[in-house]
Amino acid sequence: MNCPRCVQRIHRAAESCPHCGFSIADADAQFGIDPVQIRCLTDSAGILRRRDRQSVEAAMEKITRRFPQIFVALYTGSLGDAANIRPFSFWLLNRAVYEDAPSGMANDAGILVTIDPESKAATMVFGYLLDPFLCTQDIFECLSRAHPYWLDGRYADGFLKALNHLEVILRKKFKKARRDSKPQNPKPLAPHPAEDLGKGVRALDQTIAEPPTTEEATS
Amino acid sequence: MKFLAHFTTALAVISVTLLAASPTPASANPSPAESPPPSGEIVRPFIPIPEKFIPAYFGKRPESYLIDPQKLLSPSDFRDRLAFLNYHASDSAIDLFVFVIGADQEIPAGVKLDEIIGRFFSNGRPAVIVFYYPNSVQRSTLLLSPSIANTIPQTEQRRILESAVMQANRKSNVSEQTEQFLVQVSIRIYWMEQMISGKSAKNDKVPHANLNPALSKSAAKAAGFAKLQEVVMQLMIPAAAAFVTLVIIALLVAWRRLTARHFFPVHQVETRLGGNHAAGVGAVITFASTKVPPASQREQVSDFSRRF
Repeated sequence: MNCPRCVQRIHRAAESCPHCGFSIADADAQFGIDPVQIRCLTDSAGILRRRDRQSVEAAMEKITRRFPQIFVALYTGSLGDAANIRPFSFWLLNRAVYEDAPSGMANDAGILVTIDPESKAATMVFGYLLDPFLCTQDIFECLSRAHPYWLDGRYADGFLKALNHLEVILRKKFKKARRDSKPQNPKPLAPHPAEDLGKGVRALDQTIAEPPTTEEATS
Repeated sequence: MKFLAHFTTALAVISVTLLAASPTPASANPSPAESPPPSGEIVRPFIPIPEKFIPAYFGKRPESYLIDPQKLLSPSDFRDRLAFLNYHASDSAIDLFVFVIGADQEIPAGVKLDEIIGRFFSNGRPAVIVFYYPNSVQRSTLLLSPSIANTIPQTEQRRILESAVMQANRKSNVSEQTEQFLVQVSIRIYWMEQMISGKSAKNDKVPHANLNPALSKSAAKAAGFAKLQEVVMQLMIPAAAAFVTLVIIALLVAWRRLTARHFFPVHQVETRLGGNHAAGVGAVITFASTKVPPASQREQVSDFSRRF
């Protein structure tokens, strides 16, 4: 798990980044505290043509049709600095109110793609629903598929490629999740070596703290 | 007209029957004059083929499949019949030679057909030699080259001629009669080939002893092809059924995949960094330059680190 600002590893339940202190409050201070009402496809940068918008919306709906718990959102806009894109996406997925999102679906189920055509950067983030199933590498693979198209300025084509690969990955992850959720006879886990090491260290500490008596020493 | 046609057919059948009843209808030296004339018919003596045409008929091995030195057939008929005989020769392993003789003529007694056939038709492809009399089809005779003469029984040879005469007599026009006659002989030659190749050996009991090697080879090839065709026809329906079943299954699987809906199990996840819906987990890619491929961006680092 990485911090959106410093990309350093953070604990699973960290309230703020232990390295840079980043939290949603910092993002709120930077981008605004009030919820923003937008549509799932928001092309603030104006990089999509009318025909592109139709195909993009169709691809987004397709994902929702295949995976009814999930929706996809695309935001394009100029953020000024490439460094802003990661915290911005984090902030947007938490603060946005998607007016055309499927009813009863919270942003936990969202996958947000943000494209900044000015700083030539794009990011993909997902909500807590997919947290146990997807990892950074999966998302990066999707963005890699779009990379050659985005280099040419074909943003819609790149986005469609990314979504196609995302669907493949989601299907794989779904199969794995279904397989893992089947009742099995789990083997008892072997104790983690670190735990043994900890026990040993604690025992050593205890020994140092309480030196053996003379009787114990002689026996 | 209908009555006339029936009458003609009946006459032809009677003629053929009489011909079949003759002791050696397809013998080496047929003498049609020997057969008794039908009752009521005026008996006219046959005249021998004029001497000047004898060399053209019997002087050498025919260079054409249609021998008509007297020009008894009209030019267009001659051309059409010759074209048909050439086609037959290209399609069949047994050639068909037709000698056209006048209705009131006969082969001179001095001509030994046995000897002529033996001399001219012993070598080369097997052949069926027909002496055809326009306007008097029932007098036609049929001989076989030595290579197949012993293979085809006399009864079968007689049957070939009878059926050809019968077909010819169904037509009133000489040209059509000739055409029908030759077509029927050609068809019967095909069956003769089949018989030689052994396909109908069970029914006809034709010996294969004197089979010409060239004929045997082509006949075996034809039989092999026919067998293959039969096997293919037999397998066609099950194969088509299996193919259709597979296509249906593939379509069903594809349809199921396309319409399948996937629901992920919902896990309780602790919120992080104060985000109620997401923790900002994801990836960033830059596409500012072709010199920075995705492979070099796989390791996600902060923008600060990337700059330095």
